[in-house]
Amino acid sequence: MVMKRLVAVVAVSLLGLAACGETSSPAVPGGEAKKDDVLAQAPVAAAADILPGSTMEKIKQRGELIVGGSLDAPLLSQQNPATGQVEGFDADLGKALAKYIIGQPKVKIVNSASETREALLANGTVDVVFQTYTITPERAKQVAFAGPYYTSGLTIAVKKGATGIAKPEDLNGKKVLAGANTPAIPAIKKFAPQAEIITFGSDPECLQALKQDRGVAYVQDETLLIADAKKDPSIQIVTKPFTVDPYGIGLKHGDDQFKTFTNAWLKKMQDAGAWQKIWKSSIGTVVVGEAPQPPQIGSVPGS
Amino acid sequence: MSVLLDHLPELWQGLLVTFQLTAASFLGAAVLGVLVTALRVSPVRVLRALGTAYVETFQNLPLLVLLVLAFFGLPEIGIKADLRVTAIAVIAVYEAAYIGEALRSGVNSVAKGQGEAARAIGLTFGQSLRHVILPQALRTVVQPIGNIFIALTMNTALAAAVGVVDLTAAANRVNLLEAQPIPIFVGAGAAYALIAACAGFVTGRLERRLAILR
Repeated sequence: MVMKRLVAVVAVSLLGLAACGETSSPAVPGGEAKKDDVLAQAPVAAAADILPGSTMEKIKQRGELIVGGSLDAPLLSQQNPATGQVEGFDADLGKALAKYIIGQPKVKIVNSASETREALLANGTVDVVFQTYTITPERAKQVAFAGPYYTSGLTIAVKKGATGIAKPEDLNGKKVLAGANTPAIPAIKKFAPQAEIITFGSDPECLQALKQDRGVAYVQDETLLIADAKKDPSIQIVTKPFTVDPYGIGLKHGDDQFKTFTNAWLKKMQDAGAWQKIWKSSIGTVVVGEAPQPPQIGSVPGS
Repeated sequence: MSVLLDHLPELWQGLLVTFQLTAASFLGAAVLGVLVTALRVSPVRVLRALGTAYVETFQNLPLLVLLVLAFFGLPEIGIKADLRVTAIAVIAVYEAAYIGEALRSGVNSVAKGQGEAARAIGLTFGQSLRHVILPQALRTVVQPIGNIFIALTMNTALAAAVGVVDLTAAANRVNLLEAQPIPIFVGAGAAYALIAACAGFVTGRLERRLAILR
């Protein structure tokens, strides 16, 4: 009897997970055909820019750029299970930087996490980090930031029809969901110190938890939530972004040569329209309208 | 070092949750584990099969899979408990399989004649287990149970993956703010090591006190 019930529970919950996988399985943004086109516009550095003895020269000789990034961030850096390719805004920028240095978009993505990326940069395991790496003065003491290359913000999603949450301060005293290791946690603490924060590892888990009433609201990057709300009509977004998160390219602390080089590359990408193209093929597949104005390079404390 | 001191309240809160998870789930696992052992050594075949099925099921599934199933699967069929309670229940159920096996090896180490003698003087199965077999069996498995306790302490860190703010999750959150993973996680690791060392010390003392020379 006990066994039977247990089997039933496992079976039903597997079904439940499978079902939710169907609705919330992240569609892979951007088509294959578009990808090559996007990188075709990306510039290649002049030989004179690759200074002898520099980090750039080391990468060029290796023939591969080692990028610290995610494999599970929809629209930004997500591994396509069918092709094994990592796709998205961050991933494509990484490939474009590889093309700029080496001449070909050859990257190796090392799956880094917010616990490890400072250490990975410091000990030289990765050359750069493209991973929604918000520039903060605390972090700038450990790593160097090129950019910012993109500005995003956090917003709030609730179950459709839920009332009482219109601004971040309304989260006080409520159970709030957030992705573990996302900037949402410190942001919630700042705007609503009395909120109880419940974290899950991935975006689909947070969504499932929201739908199962583990929390009344889900705080996440706006881009991600727009994509989620498009796929899943049972949730809705209730505010405009209430934070400004400038994403930087993480580099080894003190490598000013490489930082100047990377900033110059970013400028060329924006001038050539390659940055905008990459935005359009990734984030632009869920956000309506033209690519936004890229943020001013070096405009943020810590960059 | 200063990052640890600056965030001591959060980390301390996390450590308390880890203590809570460890103590409550070990207690649950101990009770369940004794039941599982009773099933596995019982004279009724169906009950023995049930005990075997329990052990095989929970020893052969990763704890993280069980946790995710319980957190997201059970609410789908209308069973929803507090996150911490769910974590405690799942860890207890999982570790009970290991405690059950450790206890069973203890039961097997008790000489056959003991059980036969208990039956000969008219004790029922339950009575012989309670008064004769288990008291002797428990003494021989103090060390394995201590090891399971340590493993359980480490396993509570998996609850961080499903929303419980234990020491690991608290350390993660502090690191998110301070970006100094090495001192933060070394500090958290030291706290776990301290718990494990205390457990090792206590089991060592207990074993010396309880051991029977045969």
